[in-house]
Amino acid sequence: MKLKERLVLRRAFELGVVVVFLFSVLVDVHSVHGFSSDDAAAAVAEADSALRVTFVSVVDAERSGANVSELMGRLNDASSALTSAQAALRAGNYSEAVEYAGACKVLSDAVAGDAGVLKSKAAEGWWPTVAYGVLGGYLVGVVFLTVLLLAWHLFRKFYVRKLLDSRPKVNE
Amino acid sequence: MWTLSDYRRVFCVAGLLGVIVCSVPSLMTFVHLPSGERFSELWVLGPGHMAEGYPFNVRSNETYMVYVGVGNHMGASSYYRLYVKFRNQTESLPNATAKTPSSLPSLYEYREALEVDRSWEAPLTFSFSGVSFFENRSMVESLVINDVAFRVDKMTSWDAENNGYYCQLFVELWIYNAEPDTFIFHNRFVSLWLNITASV
Repeated sequence: MKLKERLVLRRAFELGVVVVFLFSVLVDVHSVHGFSSDDAAAAVAEADSALRVTFVSVVDAERSGANVSELMGRLNDASSALTSAQAALRAGNYSEAVEYAGACKVLSDAVAGDAGVLKSKAAEGWWPTVAYGVLGGYLVGVVFLTVLLLAWHLFRKFYVRKLLDSRPKVNE
Repeated sequence: MWTLSDYRRVFCVAGLLGVIVCSVPSLMTFVHLPSGERFSELWVLGPGHMAEGYPFNVRSNETYMVYVGVGNHMGASSYYRLYVKFRNQTESLPNATAKTPSSLPSLYEYREALEVDRSWEAPLTFSFSGVSFFENRSMVESLVINDVAFRVDKMTSWDAENNGYYCQLFVELWIYNAEPDTFIFHNRFVSLWLNITASV
């Protein structure tokens, strides 16, 4: 191999090394900072929207008669994660903001799913509850009226007997 | 003296009342009586959870604490946001008559979903830094709320009538409205007057 060719090859090799180095640096920078401010803002906005949708699901479950206390607690945990995400976004910690926003969305989606299940269960349990309530009320009413009629019957007997007893007797 | 027909009337009335009483639980399943007035509470309490001991004369680099709280009496679960804002005497407060919030940007934000007839309370700590005084004016560069720093660059003029550099930290209550899918100002706010004083 001629000297000139060797020099060209060497320069090409050096150039390759520089390109690989620059590429690795760029990849490294991206892995450290991870996300841009736009990415983080979008993630926070998405989590915020998910939280609102979840709240509506929880309220729907509540209207169906479900006990949503536990769901509310979890919803507020998701809300705390969103607050942390917003703080991180404001501070310029975009990776952290995306991480918190993701956690918020995961928690929020889980709550929404459970709210749907609770709503279905509450809807299934509504009719038997109402039926038992109505039937129970009807039975109690019937028992009450029966007892009252019986009492009236006995009272009337007692009253008539007392009236007859108090009638002036004629001595023959 | 009562006759038999009088007693019959008594029994009939008792029977009617009994039937009504027995049917109430069943009726309540279908009939919903109107609830009372729907409203939300918003309050700020001093460091001892009492309506006293509020910070007033504040200095640079000293941390102060109050508690903010919300009570939900809206007849259903509600989702609230509390916006913490900071103003000098010339900047806008919320307008209770027009039901509009202050035009100032929110510095810090609380979020809380509350079940009906439940309340929530959280600490609000704040401190000022970069406080300077010149020509009857004070300048606050930074306000730290719950360990989060905000650059405010707030200029306050000397209030000759009340002898101080007055500014106001206030909290607005917003509530989530599902119909337009947005938070709306709930026409409630609480505020703390603060007199910026020089560090000793």
